Amino acid sequence: MRLRIAYTKKEDAKFIAHLDLTRVFERAIRRAGIRMVYTEGFNPRPKISFGFALAVGTEGEREYVDIDLERELELGDALGRIQEQLPSGIRLLEGQVLTTGAKPLMAVLNAASYRMRVPMALPIQEDRLQEGLQAWLGRDHVTFSRYSKKGPTDKDIRPWVKSLTGNIQGDEVVFELEVEMGNAGSVRPEEVLGSLRELENLPLDLDNLRVKRTGVHVSYQGRKSSPFELLAE
Amino acid sequence: MSELTAAELRRQVEMFLPKVLKPSRYLGSEWNAIKKDWDKTEVRMAFAFPDVYEVGMSHLGTKILYHLVNSFPEFLCERVFAPWVDMEEMLRQKKLPLYTLESFQPLQAFDVIGFTLQYEMSFTNILNMLDLAGIPLRCEERKEEDPWIIAGGPCAFNPEPLVGFVDFFLLGESEEQLPEVLRLIAEQKKHPLPRREFLLRVAQVQGVYVPDFYHVSYKPDGRIAEIKAEPGVPAVVEKAIVEDFDQAFFPTKPIVPYMEIVHDRMMLEVMRGCSRGCRFCQAGMIYRPVRERSTETLLKQTEELVRSTGYDEIALTSLSSGDYTCIQPTIHSIMEKHSCEGVGVSLPSLRVDSFDVDLAESIQKSRKSGLTFAPEAGSQRLRNVINKGVTEENLLAAVGAAFQKGWSNIKLYFMMGLPTETQEDIDGIADLAKKVANLGTQHGRRNVNVTVSTSIFVPKAHTPFQWEPQESHLSVKLKQNYLKEKLRDRRIKYNYHDMETSYMEAVFAKGDRRLAPLLEWAFKHGCRFDGWSEHFDQETWMEGFKELDIDPKFYANRAMDYDDILPWDHLESGVTKQFLVEEHHRALQEARTIDCRYDVCTGCGICPGRGVQIDLKG
Repeated sequence: MRLRIAYTKKEDAKFIAHLDLTRVFERAIRRAGIRMVYTEGFNPRPKISFGFALAVGTEGEREYVDIDLERELELGDALGRIQEQLPSGIRLLEGQVLTTGAKPLMAVLNAASYRMRVPMALPIQEDRLQEGLQAWLGRDHVTFSRYSKKGPTDKDIRPWVKSLTGNIQGDEVVFELEVEMGNAGSVRPEEVLGSLRELENLPLDLDNLRVKRTGVHVSYQGRKSSPFELLAE
Repeated sequence: MSELTAAELRRQVEMFLPKVLKPSRYLGSEWNAIKKDWDKTEVRMAFAFPDVYEVGMSHLGTKILYHLVNSFPEFLCERVFAPWVDMEEMLRQKKLPLYTLESFQPLQAFDVIGFTLQYEMSFTNILNMLDLAGIPLRCEERKEEDPWIIAGGPCAFNPEPLVGFVDFFLLGESEEQLPEVLRLIAEQKKHPLPRREFLLRVAQVQGVYVPDFYHVSYKPDGRIAEIKAEPGVPAVVEKAIVEDFDQAFFPTKPIVPYMEIVHDRMMLEVMRGCSRGCRFCQAGMIYRPVRERSTETLLKQTEELVRSTGYDEIALTSLSSGDYTCIQPTIHSIMEKHSCEGVGVSLPSLRVDSFDVDLAESIQKSRKSGLTFAPEAGSQRLRNVINKGVTEENLLAAVGAAFQKGWSNIKLYFMMGLPTETQEDIDGIADLAKKVANLGTQHGRRNVNVTVSTSIFVPKAHTPFQWEPQESHLSVKLKQNYLKEKLRDRRIKYNYHDMETSYMEAVFAKGDRRLAPLLEWAFKHGCRFDGWSEHFDQETWMEGFKELDIDPKFYANRAMDYDDILPWDHLESGVTKQFLVEEHHRALQEARTIDCRYDVCTGCGICPGRGVQIDLKG
C-alpha cells in the first residue's frame, strides 16, 4: 500500500536535515510496528520519498511524503500509529492511499510558496516598499551571485519568481513569495530578498530573516493544486 | 556572565543555528531524550562529552550514565558535547555560554559537570568547554556557586595532567558510585560544608579520587620522590565495580539522534572486561574481571530496544564479543525473533581465533562489505611478546574461509613500535598482508582488497607495558616509509597513523600533574580537537613545551624502572603491580600467558576480596 502524507515540519524538527528525514520516518514507522517495503539490491532501503528539500531551519507548514507499506492498513489507523512515534514538530495533516501508477511527488510538484518575516534595519514607508516591489517585479532579468566552494556564479533569478507581495506589520515586513521549482533548480527565498534589498535599496535586516514554506504545489496552466487534488481527478 | 534565561538563550541560538554545520548537534529534542522539570529535582548534572555530538552519542557509557542518573526522580542529567569550531565561534561572537541540549540551561546553572575521559587528546576540549561556559578553569578560582567538576572513564586511571582543573575523579564502574556521589552533593546543597570537608566525605566513596589530598614531590632528576596521601583518605584509591553485572542498570530507551552518528544502531553490552591479557591493552586490564550477561537478559533488552528506537541494527558490544560464551544462541534468538522486522545483528569486535565464518555470514545482512582482523604484530615472536594469542594459521584460516564465502575486502590492523620490535617484525607485516592477498587470488576472488593499517604503540598506565618508552619519531617514520615501499601491490592499501598525534598521546598517557600548565597553555594558544588531524597543531604544542621548559621525551620516550614511583601509583585498577611486573618479564621472554577463562588463574589480583568474580553464562 502506497501512502501519500501531508505533514508539518516545525519547532525543532525544522532543523532536521533533509537527508536525515528519511531515517526519522523510517524509525517512527518501525516503532509503530508497521512493516515497510524495501528497495531491491545490495543495500535495501525502505521506500520513502519526499518532495523538494526544505532548507535546514526553514519551517514547512505543509510538506509531502510517499511511503510504501507492506500490508493494507486502515488509513486513519496507520496515520495515528505513525503520528504517535514522530517528534512533536512533525504533525501529520492528511493522508491518501495512492493508486497504482500514481506519479511520484518529485514528478508532479513544481511550485512552492513562502512567508518571510524580516525586521526593518531602518523604518520603511509602506508606499516605498510597494514601489520597490513593483520595480523589482518589473525587471526582466535579475542577476544574483550565488557563492559556493567554487566561487561566485551569476544566475538570473527573475524567471523563477511567480509572485512576490509584501506589507509592513509593526517593525517587520511580511513577504509572500511564490516560486517555480523543478529539476533545473529554483531560487532560494533569501536570494530574492537579498536582491530586493540591494537593487531597490530597501533596508531589510536579513540576518534576522525568518522563512516559512507555506506549501508546495502542482501548478498547471495558472492553476495551483495539491498533489492530493491531482489524485482525485 | 550576566543572567540569561534558558528561553532567551534558546531564542538567540536558534537565530544562527541554520548557519552552522549540522545544527541537530545542538538540539536536545531527539526521540527518547529526557526533559525533566528543572525545579522539581534536587541535583542537576550536566554530562559532558569532550568531543562532537556524533562521537559522544555513539559511546555506550554515556548512554548508560545519562539514563541511570535520570532514573532517579531526585536527579536530573542533561547532555553537552564539545561544539564544533564553527559553533564555538558563533557562541563566542554572540557572547553566549555553552548550554545543555535538553533545557538550554547554561552549564553554570548545574550543580555538577561530569566529563568522560575516553581519550587523552580530548583534554584541551575539556578546558575549552569550561571556558565557553564561563566557569573558571582552575579549582581554586571557582566559587561556591560554581558547579563541581568531576570526571571518569578510562583516562581517569591516570588523570594527573588534569589535576587542578577537576575537583575529583571517579575510577571504575560508575553505576553505583555516581548516584552515591550525587546523594552527597544533594546533602551538601542542603547543609553546606566547607569545600575541604565535603571533599573528604566524597573521598570515602569507592573509587573516588580527590587529588587535593595527595601530595607529589619530585627528585632533582624530575622523577617522583613520593606521593603522600593526607590522613583520612585511602592511600591507594581502588576502582569501583558493580555488584551484579547481569542485573546492572542498562538503558533500553536510548536516545535516537536525528543526524547520523558514528555508531548509529542499538547496542547491547553482552560482556564487560576481557582476560585475553594483551599486554599493551589498557581496557583489558582495567575492566576486569570478565562478567557476561545472560541470553535471557539480553533478549529482554533487545525486545525493548527494538520497540523504543526503531533502529534496524543491533550491535553486540564488548571488548571481544566473539569470546562471549553464549554468542551463538544469543544471535540465533535475536535473528529468529527480529529479522522479519528488518533488524540485523552486527559484531564490532571479532578476534581471529574466535572468528566463526558461518556466524559472520549469518549476520551479514546483504552485501559482504568487509571484515576486519587485528593480528597487531607481524611475527609470531612479537605476537607472543604482546600476548596476542593469534597465530598465522588462525588468521589464514579465518581469511580463507571468508574469501571462500564471498568476501573480498579484508582489513588488517597492526601496531608499530611495539617493545622489542625489529626489522623482521615489520617484514612480517608485509609478508602477512601478501599471504592474505594471495589467498584471495587463489580463492578466485577478483577484487581482492587488503587494507593494512598501522597505528603507533602508545604505552598506557596500568598495563604490563607501562614502563616502556614510545619509539622515537625517526625510527617510526623510517618503518612507515619502509612498509609503504614494501606494500606496493595493487591489491593492498596501506594506511598509517600520524606520529605527531600518537606522540602527544604518549606524553599525556604517561604524564603527571606537572603537565597541567602545558594543557592550559596549549588551550589558550588555540589547541582543541587535538584528536582530529585537521585541528591538531603540532607546532603550538612544541612551542608550549619550550615555553614552559617541559621535556616531552621525559614522558614519552623514557623507559621507567620497576622501582620508579609512577604518577598513577596511588590509583588502582585491581590488577596488581606485581602481576604487571611479571607480565612485563614474560613479555621480554616471549612467553605467553593463557586467558584464565580457559586455563588456571593467572593471579592478576582482581578477584580476591572484592566480592566479584569471573562470571560466564555459557
